[in-house]
Amino acid sequence: MSYEPKIIAFCCNWCSYAAADLAGSSRLQYPPNVRIIRVMCSGMVHPEFILEALNKGADGVMIMGCHLGECHYLDGNHITMARLDMIAGLLEDFGFESERLSVTWLSSTEPDKFVKAVTEMTERVKELGPVLNEVQTV
Amino acid sequence: MRVTTALEALSSCSGCEIAILNLGEALIPLLIEQLDIVHGPIFMDHKYYGQCGDDGTRLQIPEAVIGIVSGGVSNEEHVEVLQEMRKKCRVLIALGSCATQGGIPALMNGQDTEQSFDAIFQTSSTDPGAGRPDRIVPKLLDRTCALDEKVVIDLQLPGCPPNPEHIGEVIMSVLEDREPVLPTKSVCDTCPTQRQGKGVVNSVKRFVENAEFDPNKPISDMRCLLEQGFMCMGPVTLAGCAKRGVPACIEARVPCRGCFGSVRPKGNQLLGMMNALASNGIDYTSVVDRRSIQRFCGAHGNLRPKKKSAVKVGI
Repeated sequence: MSYEPKIIAFCCNWCSYAAADLAGSSRLQYPPNVRIIRVMCSGMVHPEFILEALNKGADGVMIMGCHLGECHYLDGNHITMARLDMIAGLLEDFGFESERLSVTWLSSTEPDKFVKAVTEMTERVKELGPVLNEVQTV
Repeated sequence: MRVTTALEALSSCSGCEIAILNLGEALIPLLIEQLDIVHGPIFMDHKYYGQCGDDGTRLQIPEAVIGIVSGGVSNEEHVEVLQEMRKKCRVLIALGSCATQGGIPALMNGQDTEQSFDAIFQTSSTDPGAGRPDRIVPKLLDRTCALDEKVVIDLQLPGCPPNPEHIGEVIMSVLEDREPVLPTKSVCDTCPTQRQGKGVVNSVKRFVENAEFDPNKPISDMRCLLEQGFMCMGPVTLAGCAKRGVPACIEARVPCRGCFGSVRPKGNQLLGMMNALASNGIDYTSVVDRRSIQRFCGAHGNLRPKKKSAVKVGI
């Protein structure tokens, strides 16, 4: 059986979730590996969310937000960006490849960009293979 | 009637047992009137085989109401003993940081096990022919685990060493059948040093030079060590070490090293500290050897061998 990765995508309510919605209603095809979690802003995605997703069996995490400068909350996605390098470095500390995290900025009228990002991420994670060493507690 | 108690130490240093003894005079009435220690290899001469009157072919621990286990789980013997403790004890207490989140032995989780063994058993200074022991000694697990990764734990009591007062409180809470009252806030919450505001510091340094303070004045006259630019883990560490009103390390005018583990159960000190530094405009890259922030909580997958070096994440 071929390996199908699980990818968690944190989509902001205002742009990227709407883009995903539009991709659906436009009947665009994209890999079913992605599980979307709607958040109000990409800036509220705490590093612990990302680590918890990977620890509990996700193989990749995507963060999607509005284009820089177009955040509904003015500077939410700038906060996301400020954390990015730190999170990527920390993922390696926790034994995950930093490629398991991706960030995409897109507006609500760019479903094709959403499809492209999801497709690329799925390919990338497929190449990396599954996360080993899942943490289990009784 | 006294309540039967079993004590067990796994991958630990016996510091937690010394913390029990450090209950001092409060321990005497506990031992005389309340507890009946039926098993405790670290305190008394006890055998695992045949001590319960059986044929001695199987590891046996006597039945007990309270079971106190210190130390993490790092080899197959530890797993066997821990599972037997779980079977025989009604209330199982994890005592100390090793038992609750891996502690010092779990530091090994941060590096490749094979490489570590080569370094330990086959360095250039060992005699020729030396190999890794593979008989008689129990087989090591792939990583050092906290107790709750292997069995269900009823009460968690972190600390390196734990605060004797809390040990007393946890035992009394079981005897009185109520929830224990333990600290839930951070070390900063119990720290009396002066906080004058953020924004002055933009990087943190290691504690290789002394903090600024007047030795003749109390701790409450010293400026917060984080505000002095030292890497103090108070903000992300669970309180409880304050025995005389001041957190233990701060009392010695040394930054907190994070031995009580994360403030929230299952939290992550490294992520918390880095997020706090980054969001307060402090250069997180100034933290030297940031993985050592996890020095007391390497279990639960918090410390793993490092993966390949950074590839820039596409934006």
